Amino acid sequence: MKKTPLSFLSSLKLTFTLLLIIAIASILGTVIPQEYEGGESFSHLSPGLVKAFNSLQLFDMYHSVWFIILMCLLSLNLIVCSVNRFPTSWRLFRKVPSLDRSKPFEDLSPDRVLVIERRLNEVIARVENLVRRRYKRVRRSDTANTTLFQGEKGAYSHFGVYIIHLSILIFILGEIIGSLFGFNAFVNLPEGEFTSTVYLRRQRGIKKLDFTVRCDKFSIAYYDNGMPKEYRSDLSFLKNNKAIYQGPLLVNHPITFDGIKFYQASYGSVPGGQAYITIKKANERQSSIAVKLKDSFYLKEKDARVTISRIEENLMDMGPAVLLKIQSPQGNMRLWVFKDIEKIKEDIPDLFQKVPKFNPGLLKPYYFKLNSIETKYYTGLQVSHDPGASIVAIGAFFIIIGLIITFFSSHKRLWVRLDEKDHRTRIMVGARSNRDPVGLKRETEYLLRHLKKQG
Amino acid sequence: MVINTTILSWVTFIYLASSIFYIFRMVTGRAFWGPFASYIALAGLIAQSFALILRWVESYKLGIGHAPLSNLYESLIFFAWSIVLLYLIVEWRIKSRNLGAFVIPFAFLFMAYASFSPDVSSRIQPLIPALQSNWLISHVITCFIGYAAFTIACGLGFMYLLKGLGKGRGPRPFLRSLPDREILDELAYHSVVIGFIFLTLGIITGSVWAYSAWGSYWSWDPKETWSLITWLIYAAMLHSRFVRDWRGKRMAIMSIIGFASVLFTYFGVNYLPGLHSYF
Repeated sequence: MKKTPLSFLSSLKLTFTLLLIIAIASILGTVIPQEYEGGESFSHLSPGLVKAFNSLQLFDMYHSVWFIILMCLLSLNLIVCSVNRFPTSWRLFRKVPSLDRSKPFEDLSPDRVLVIERRLNEVIARVENLVRRRYKRVRRSDTANTTLFQGEKGAYSHFGVYIIHLSILIFILGEIIGSLFGFNAFVNLPEGEFTSTVYLRRQRGIKKLDFTVRCDKFSIAYYDNGMPKEYRSDLSFLKNNKAIYQGPLLVNHPITFDGIKFYQASYGSVPGGQAYITIKKANERQSSIAVKLKDSFYLKEKDARVTISRIEENLMDMGPAVLLKIQSPQGNMRLWVFKDIEKIKEDIPDLFQKVPKFNPGLLKPYYFKLNSIETKYYTGLQVSHDPGASIVAIGAFFIIIGLIITFFSSHKRLWVRLDEKDHRTRIMVGARSNRDPVGLKRETEYLLRHLKKQG
Repeated sequence: MVINTTILSWVTFIYLASSIFYIFRMVTGRAFWGPFASYIALAGLIAQSFALILRWVESYKLGIGHAPLSNLYESLIFFAWSIVLLYLIVEWRIKSRNLGAFVIPFAFLFMAYASFSPDVSSRIQPLIPALQSNWLISHVITCFIGYAAFTIACGLGFMYLLKGLGKGRGPRPFLRSLPDREILDELAYHSVVIGFIFLTLGIITGSVWAYSAWGSYWSWDPKETWSLITWLIYAAMLHSRFVRDWRGKRMAIMSIIGFASVLFTYFGVNYLPGLHSYF
């Protein structure tokens, strides 16, 4: 064979080499943490290694240039191999089997030969009937004392493998279309809030939607044993401030709006904007108040105005806290009031010496205490649009068809020859198949059994 | 202990007994022990099916009804069940009991792992939201029928290699009693074909499910990636047979490598981070 670029591309050696490299690369990708899964996990790698991996795009390996080149080579290899082999299969499909009188019956085992005590013209109609019932494209040729039938079926089985290869190309096409014209984004939406902007995962940009999505409510239902039963977001989709669609979003039940799919992906909680604090004054009755962000109140004794300037659900891993801005004639100060101040002091006994602004008793004679902060849920929505998905689905349909044709059908050809001699008819049955010798044997034995009954 | 798990832990011993009979039969070369092995395996399969139905009913009584296919314990049990079922069908079709010694021990091992490993909880648990999908049943069933077929192919591969050991080293009665290598090769090929088709279906049903649960039919999650690697190994095996006409020893070795990949897809991936953490 001549060495041409085409023969390189069509070699099975290339296929195996590519498959091997892709398999090894895929294994690497399952071991090396991938970027979009969250970057924390490669902090244990040495900086040099991180740099090397980065330059090889190993942190986003499945989308790296070299992985895509490998995939392209594999597709090319698949196409060239299939195109090279197709004419042979086409010939086998089109080829009219020979009406050769002897060849199919060479080395025929004796159990494929029957002798019936009847004349040829007495049995011929039944034989023809039987053959025509079981086989397609049946042809007949007659000479003086001999009749030959030739039939075949399942010629389409030669195409199964091309259907499989084609569906793999359809998969790749669907994937390409999806990554070119689709997007994959997310957005975290607190209850009661709305947005028309989502964050793209891979491209790391934002995407403006033509409509607004609002999270009316997020809720979790639990089983008796505490395992989560249902995550549910009640969403509204608005256009020009008018709700066009409202409905619950559940895991496994995405909502499609305007061609864009929304999935329930995660959830979390954010401060709800309200905190409950207690203000104690030495030897005086304490008073508890509910405050909102930017609220302020007046403390008479110090002539101080206190404003809530921040409400944090978890400040520096020390739990809920509010920031009080205190303005008084003695000067302005900021004071962080933690909910779990006792516990924090246990861990860091000299906390107030180090960070005076964490001391809830800093503004004597007042003492502040944070009782709780109100939290509300946010829902984590996966927002995506994948025009390639339906193409991939078509590929999936065809790969199943292709596999069934390839493995469960075979091109069977049958030759039946009847010779008359001394008022007896000899019937010989020859058969060939490209696959499935067991099925062919069963089929042939069926025919012989029925032919015997004729006699 | 709940009744279904009690039955299932007994089934473990039934499969152990069956494995011992199959191996004993093969080593001594006495066909006499064969029917014992087969009927014990069949009894185990019936008891196991009964326990699975019981478990299913029980989950409904707990008010969290779902098919018993939802965690590692249940998937191991179903894997063993598929292996024994598929094996008994093959045994009945080919009318030979030699393969049992190479396949039933796998069913025993998976049952033993499910029943006695402290890491595997046998409790009936409710379905977390991600698993509440109609695709759960079809995905798990197709995958494990595929895995079971690959288990049988792997058993045939071992048998083929063992048969090869007897060549040219004087007669070894039990090796001679094994089926011809051509038959083993053909059978292994058929098992791989069945496994390959079901693995393909399993990957497709999994993708459809992932598309409705996570919004992406393929996300290179370790389990997905490893199932693809497994698929590629068996695809390479089928191609080398179709195009290069590789047979025999190479195929036997490939069916063992393929099965190792199946096992890694099933168990090993749990040690890697990813989405399939429930299995």
